[in-house]
Amino acid sequence: MESLSYRQYLKNFALPLEIRYMKRQLIKLLSSPKLFVYSLVWLMVLVTVGTVSQKDIGLYASQQKYFSSYFFTFGFVPFPGGRIVLALMLINLISMMFKQNLWKMKKLGVIVVHLGGIMLLVGAGLTAMFSSEGSMVIEEGSKSNTVDDYHITELAIINVSNPNYDQYTIFGKPLFSSGNNLMHENLEFDITILDYMDNATLETAEGTSKVGFKGMLSNFNLVELDRDKDDMKNKPAIIFQVSGTFSDTDGIYGLIFGQSVPATLTTNSNQYVMALQKKKTYLPFAIELEDFKKVMHPGTEVAKSYSSKINLIENNIPRPVLIEMNKPLRHQGYTFYQASFIESPNGEETTVLAAVNNYGRLFPYISSIVMSIGLLLHMLVSMPNLFKKKKS
Amino acid sequence: MTSLLKNIFKLCLAIIVFGSDVIANDLRVTDIPIQEGGRIKPLDTYARNQALAFYGKRKIKHENLSAIDWLLNLFTNPDKGLDQQIFNIRNPEVVNALELEWTNNFHKYSYNEIYPGVENQLTLIRSIFEKKEKDRDTFESQFAELYQNIMKYREIVSSLSCLLPLFTVYSPETAEYLHISPGQPTSYAHIMSHRSSLFDVSQGILTKPENEWSETEREIALLLYNLQQASADEFAKALKIIPPSKNDSSGLWLSPWELFDGREIEPHQDKMIKSLEKFLLARFQNDISAQNAALSSYKTGLLSYPVERINFSVLKNESWLNKANLFTNSLVFYLLGFIFLGISWMIRPTLFRRVAFGSIILGFLLHTYGIILRMIIMSRPPISTIYETVIFVGFVIVLFSLIIEYLRQDGLGVFLGSVSGAMLHYVGFGYAADGDTLEMLVAVLNSNFWLATHVTTIILGYGTSLMAGLIGHLYLIEKIRVPKDSARLKSIYNNMFGVTLIALFFTLFGTILGGIWADQSWGRFWGWDPKENGALLIVLWQLMMVHMRLSGLAKPDKFALGMVLNNIIVIMAWFGVNLLSIGLHSYGFVSGIAVNIILFTVFELVTGFGTYYWARSKNRLAL
Repeated sequence: MESLSYRQYLKNFALPLEIRYMKRQLIKLLSSPKLFVYSLVWLMVLVTVGTVSQKDIGLYASQQKYFSSYFFTFGFVPFPGGRIVLALMLINLISMMFKQNLWKMKKLGVIVVHLGGIMLLVGAGLTAMFSSEGSMVIEEGSKSNTVDDYHITELAIINVSNPNYDQYTIFGKPLFSSGNNLMHENLEFDITILDYMDNATLETAEGTSKVGFKGMLSNFNLVELDRDKDDMKNKPAIIFQVSGTFSDTDGIYGLIFGQSVPATLTTNSNQYVMALQKKKTYLPFAIELEDFKKVMHPGTEVAKSYSSKINLIENNIPRPVLIEMNKPLRHQGYTFYQASFIESPNGEETTVLAAVNNYGRLFPYISSIVMSIGLLLHMLVSMPNLFKKKKS
Repeated sequence: MTSLLKNIFKLCLAIIVFGSDVIANDLRVTDIPIQEGGRIKPLDTYARNQALAFYGKRKIKHENLSAIDWLLNLFTNPDKGLDQQIFNIRNPEVVNALELEWTNNFHKYSYNEIYPGVENQLTLIRSIFEKKEKDRDTFESQFAELYQNIMKYREIVSSLSCLLPLFTVYSPETAEYLHISPGQPTSYAHIMSHRSSLFDVSQGILTKPENEWSETEREIALLLYNLQQASADEFAKALKIIPPSKNDSSGLWLSPWELFDGREIEPHQDKMIKSLEKFLLARFQNDISAQNAALSSYKTGLLSYPVERINFSVLKNESWLNKANLFTNSLVFYLLGFIFLGISWMIRPTLFRRVAFGSIILGFLLHTYGIILRMIIMSRPPISTIYETVIFVGFVIVLFSLIIEYLRQDGLGVFLGSVSGAMLHYVGFGYAADGDTLEMLVAVLNSNFWLATHVTTIILGYGTSLMAGLIGHLYLIEKIRVPKDSARLKSIYNNMFGVTLIALFFTLFGTILGGIWADQSWGRFWGWDPKENGALLIVLWQLMMVHMRLSGLAKPDKFALGMVLNNIIVIMAWFGVNLLSIGLHSYGFVSGIAVNIILFTVFELVTGFGTYYWARSKNRLAL
């Protein structure tokens, strides 16, 4: 009779043991406080570098590079970014919960603190993945139902031929690489991206031949500029070719963010308006600015408060609301904050509201309470040993 | 020692005087309300701020004049004021630019000395003001500041000239128009309040040729001419002591000269102006009872202002706080505590340690009382400016030191409390030298709830973190001094770890609360703003230390070193990030602090690593 083959031996005895052992080792490794320490060290490096570099590249770029990234490169060497580190810390914390010697009454405080930590990181993850923020710019007396993203641009082609409605066709920023062909059934022409610039300006074209250039580009050139540290000051621009109308309309067009004269395009059957704009989100309600107020501390240039008196219009029913510093309006998952204002020389005031949609916003509130309770519990247990009164 | 005793005596006296002040109902000249920097403050504070701006000190030392007396002297005798050597110019370049002589140790110049030089340099001054503030070099910013100061001084000097008895008429007829007796001097304000009868007459005069004027008419013409000359002072609107008309919604108070620009003077304003005129006259004649009578009728005028109820007790509190110098006295007691502790190391250990402990407690009480008074005056939580963070961190550290001393009874707490309390008071004085420490806040900070929760918690965190770092220093020193006394080392280590846990609690909770405030007011919990990152770094560092201890990566020595290095991070987060001058929290920017931060960092690195390696080498030798 043949003895157990090596293979069978492995299958029946060794492997399960091995797997169980490896599993335990894995948990031990993943839950090790040393892993936490190393992650912390790297996170501190990221925070320091990411803070100091704000001076040179600005907050938005620094945040994108170091904190909201999975990896970033320094020279040619890739390094883990903020998201990887925080994910690692989350895994570390969760694995810790599977340690058997943790679950003791004495360690209740420690358990609660770490559960709070898990909640904080989960909330951060949700916010990073799903939240959106943008701004609403409303002049006194006018209303708006769109939120403009702070950073992401989009190309909007609007068919305005029908007097009853406008038909929007939107192309997002990921499509803007040179040579890309953009087509859509709503459009009777093709678009080929020639160039996209993160920051650009217009210069008058003198003496240069502008054959084939249409619209704005027949008189102006788009010149690329260095990115500004403040991303809000960047004016992205796009140059593209329109083809397939088989008419004089075919040619090269250019758009720049915030241009004063809208770009138009006419085909045989339709009339279009084109714009390079910040990504718009349409709200199921509108906000009308009735009055913007700025109050100064008397006799000084120090502002005491800003506030916007608005009407929240839903189903054509207006409701007056006052938005102040530290007192936002929350409605349908959105929160509107008094962010800024614009005063024109002729005294007209325009409010700038920040509009935020954040699914993770409750997590910090809960986790801070949980963590504080946990730390207090832990201190209650450990403090008497740490501070002993001298016997006199 | 005598100065110490004097200080204690002064303090007791001040407390007694303060007690009687609360009962006394009369308005004192120091408590006259004035609007400046967006709030109503006592004239005493205003005077001190001006003295600080011009002279560099809160009293005029070389003439031994208090700020309020100096200011009142300016009002009663403007011409003398213009010759008073009040401008402290420390930069010889500025003096040269004014074509003045650089005197070696005095460097004080009068308005009349400086003004011609300024007039010659107007083009230079204009070019400086065209530059942005951050592009100006030291000379330029000091020259610009001096220019603004002397312009302001000129304005202050003339602020009350409309109330001075500068005009005299001798003809009975004219005197009757003005409701005064002939030969009695009177003021611009008084004449203007009787101007209607005077102007009726003047219409008649102007239509007549000059050689047909009677003596009286000649006098009236001359008076009108002089009045017009005097009204050149109309620009002097610095002294906002008169509440506005009840129909004025701006809330801006007025300066006496503004009342004579043709507006209707309301009863409360009229009453105040007249009382003030009487007060100045009485002060000029050194008549104390007349001064008090004038002030009490001034108060009646203020009380009849229908719109806003003036809170006199708050004004009183503030001018008392100015006088009492609570923080200076508290500093004295901290130093005294240190001295007694030193004595206890030589003779009678128990007795002198207790005396030292008592001295720190006294200092701490004054410290606390000062913070409470400031809260009452501004009706807001204890911390809202960078100056107040310094004062409050001192408060936190001394508080914890007292607790530790109470528990240990071996002088360690006294040592910690006296050294750090005194040091932080000293840093605080540096900030106080910039001007009024009771400032109004920008809109986003204007929320008592969040100032009370987030800011207080995070500053408690800063304080306890520094405390842990200080114990870290002591631990390393004791390790070198008494390496064999393991019981003592163990108990210090335990205290340090305990304080670290407390610090972690406050920094963690405070940072998250900051995020929640940001979520409440800007809609994002975390924006990677430099100040937020600074606070986060402290939390991460402390989390790291706690987990290094747990995982065996850090033994007590290393843990102590870690907490010493944590001090550097705290200082960076507290002051350093403001140097980046980016982000939402850069309102606390103070120039020239960079050098101090670097010095502190070097000091901590050298002493931290130095004592750490010394302790370890001693340990190895012992083995």
